[in-house]
Amino acid sequence: MGELAVDKHVKFILTVEKDKDSFESIVMEHIRLNGAYWGLTTLDILGKLNAVDQDEVISWMMQCQHESGGFGGNIGHDPHVLYTLSAIQVLALFDKIDVLDVDKVSNYIAGLQNEDGSFSGDMWGEIDTRFSYIAICSLALLKHLDKINVERAVNYIVSCKNLDGGFGCTPGAESHAGQIFCCVGALAITGSLHHVDKDLLGWWLCERQVKSGGLNGRPEKLPDVCYSWWVLSSLIMIDRVHWIDKEKLIRFILDSQDKENGGISDRPGDAVDIFHTYFGVAGLSLLEYRGLKAIDPAYALPVDVVNKILIGR
Amino acid sequence: MTGGANPSSDVLKELENILDSDPFIDEVGFIHPSQFSELVKEVGSSLKDGLMESEGSEANTSDSVFWSRDHKLGISTTALLPLYRAAKHAFMEAIRQYQVLSESRGERDDSQDGNASRCTSTSISILETDIMKHSRVLLLLSCDFGTAWNFRKVVVSKIQQLHLYMDELSLSALVLSYSPKSERAWNHRRWVIKMIAGMCPNLQETVERESEFVEKLAEKSKMNYRAWNHRSWLVSYMSGEQVLSELNKSQDWAGLHVADNSCFHYRVRLLLKILAGFDKLDAGASSATSLRELWKKELNWVEMLIKRYVGREALWLHRRFLSLSWIKNFTTQVHSNSCSSCPNNMMNVEVFMDNELQLCHSCCTIPDNDFEDYQAQATFSATYIMWLVRQAAGSLPIELQKKLQENELKTVVKNVCPDKSFLWDTFNASI
Ligand SMILES: [Zn+2]
Repeated sequence: MGELAVDKHVKFILTVEKDKDSFESIVMEHIRLNGAYWGLTTLDILGKLNAVDQDEVISWMMQCQHESGGFGGNIGHDPHVLYTLSAIQVLALFDKIDVLDVDKVSNYIAGLQNEDGSFSGDMWGEIDTRFSYIAICSLALLKHLDKINVERAVNYIVSCKNLDGGFGCTPGAESHAGQIFCCVGALAITGSLHHVDKDLLGWWLCERQVKSGGLNGRPEKLPDVCYSWWVLSSLIMIDRVHWIDKEKLIRFILDSQDKENGGISDRPGDAVDIFHTYFGVAGLSLLEYRGLKAIDPAYALPVDVVNKILIGR
Repeated sequence: MTGGANPSSDVLKELENILDSDPFIDEVGFIHPSQFSELVKEVGSSLKDGLMESEGSEANTSDSVFWSRDHKLGISTTALLPLYRAAKHAFMEAIRQYQVLSESRGERDDSQDGNASRCTSTSISILETDIMKHSRVLLLLSCDFGTAWNFRKVVVSKIQQLHLYMDELSLSALVLSYSPKSERAWNHRRWVIKMIAGMCPNLQETVERESEFVEKLAEKSKMNYRAWNHRSWLVSYMSGEQVLSELNKSQDWAGLHVADNSCFHYRVRLLLKILAGFDKLDAGASSATSLRELWKKELNWVEMLIKRYVGREALWLHRRFLSLSWIKNFTTQVHSNSCSSCPNNMMNVEVFMDNELQLCHSCCTIPDNDFEDYQAQATFSATYIMWLVRQAAGSLPIELQKKLQENELKTVVKNVCPDKSFLWDTFNASI
């Protein structure tokens, strides 16, 4: 199994970015801004963010902004909070949030809060606790949480808590590790973790670890590298990370690398992609793997980036 | 406008014609060129044989990048990239012009130039047709292209006709038939149903059809969170009668898919809805009894499944939910009650817990053969009972709690799943 193939992964990320000729890469163009966040955050954790031309990235990204203030996934695409958070996070990595019209962006996000405290993802009204997290995380990074009703936002998230201690996308929806990360992250950012039964949720989360050491996102599912991030970050935020076997998980992630061409896949032997490469590296960072920058479990950005923004270092 | 000179726009036009000529296409497949030529060859011969009997099912094999027959559509993978580029270009151009025209009409409406505004509205409706055509192809190739779904919403909500909304359900069903996890396709479905609900308040039929749609799709796409979440979302639109019938209908399916946690969660959702609708003060004794019987039936059914399908996590988690709600809603603590002498009275919490302990013990023995499943069964049963004791602590009499703590439960846990024995310590500390 061996080590994390840092140089190979850097090369993989830089070449994925250039691939514009295969059907597989073209049909992802509507979420290119998410891809930029995954790739660039990985590079930063690996200490290689300077391998990209930040002016080029930022000037492309600003063309994805809509007049409403929200960002589309690429130039000419409709805005959605999913891409707006990625844009803010990428600018945070480059310490360039000031290129934004912060009021405009935060008004866009705040305008999507509903009466019951929930958030829509865009003007078409789909509601999801993921969007609650995105709104809260974005506004915290922009220092404009005052533009929304935080208490109602928190109450809505709490209303999505299930009897097993987990959270789903809407009230009564099945618990899912990705949704749990969003809900716990949003509660952590707003200082509302007292709403979580930590032992009960920790119990559900640590039961996600399967024999191979990998984590799944729901009962009976196969382990998947991306859940290393969602389950692990949640366990850290509720202070129960000692309930899983960290060594086995590290081995599972390292076994999912493509050691020849770089990149990490969902589980050993599968094809790699940028999404799982990010979650694998971010997971290893949470596991304090040597040589990696520490990542913040709630903001999903390197700790130094978050500190610079929130406490001016 | 772009003319026939551009070969990729010809391909786009051809596909749009195929889709227009058969609105009932319900399956799309992307086919590798080698398989594609074989398919055409095969169908070519069957075409001659079958020509006399059924002219209607004649296969469309022109230019050999599309193949369609019996409402099935095949697209050669060689065509995907040029087709996508052409569709995207045409769509983006159409929405650009549409936005310009819509804005200029807004301005001209004030100036009351009748002729010009009639002219604009004709161009607008042409563009709307273009948007619908091009976005359809685009979504067949890239199912989460949100902007394409969005502009379809713009157009159909402007025209406001029920049959157009129904067409949207068909398109989303078509996309989901081969991309069952497409988030945008599911979102679009919910948006359409909400619009339909605004037009015709009686949603029962739609809800029933949707529920069946999910069940069929879940057969092919196992443990699909978005699909089950959609079905679960429907519950809020269901009548009490429908909830009960859904509970009945989904039982067989669940029994055949015991690893699909989402289906069991769906049952949780239905059961909670029934429980919430039950007003303790208002309800008569008979409905209280039937609710209790319903719960008991579910508990017995899951116990039967647990014994039949060894080592299935979803079953044990379902039992956690059922037992905890049983203790909280249907048991009494009064153990001097005459009922408590009756050994089969599950309503007595001590009797109930005793049963659960026995179930746990019986599942903790690991035979030499088939070690893995039985090991899993033992772990799930041990963590089940620990979880239940912890979560129900407030509803258990002190003596029973003490008894459980002093019980050999701890040894069982340490023997069966030593890696989970820390859970024992945390729950012990919390009582
Ligand atoms: Zn994954």
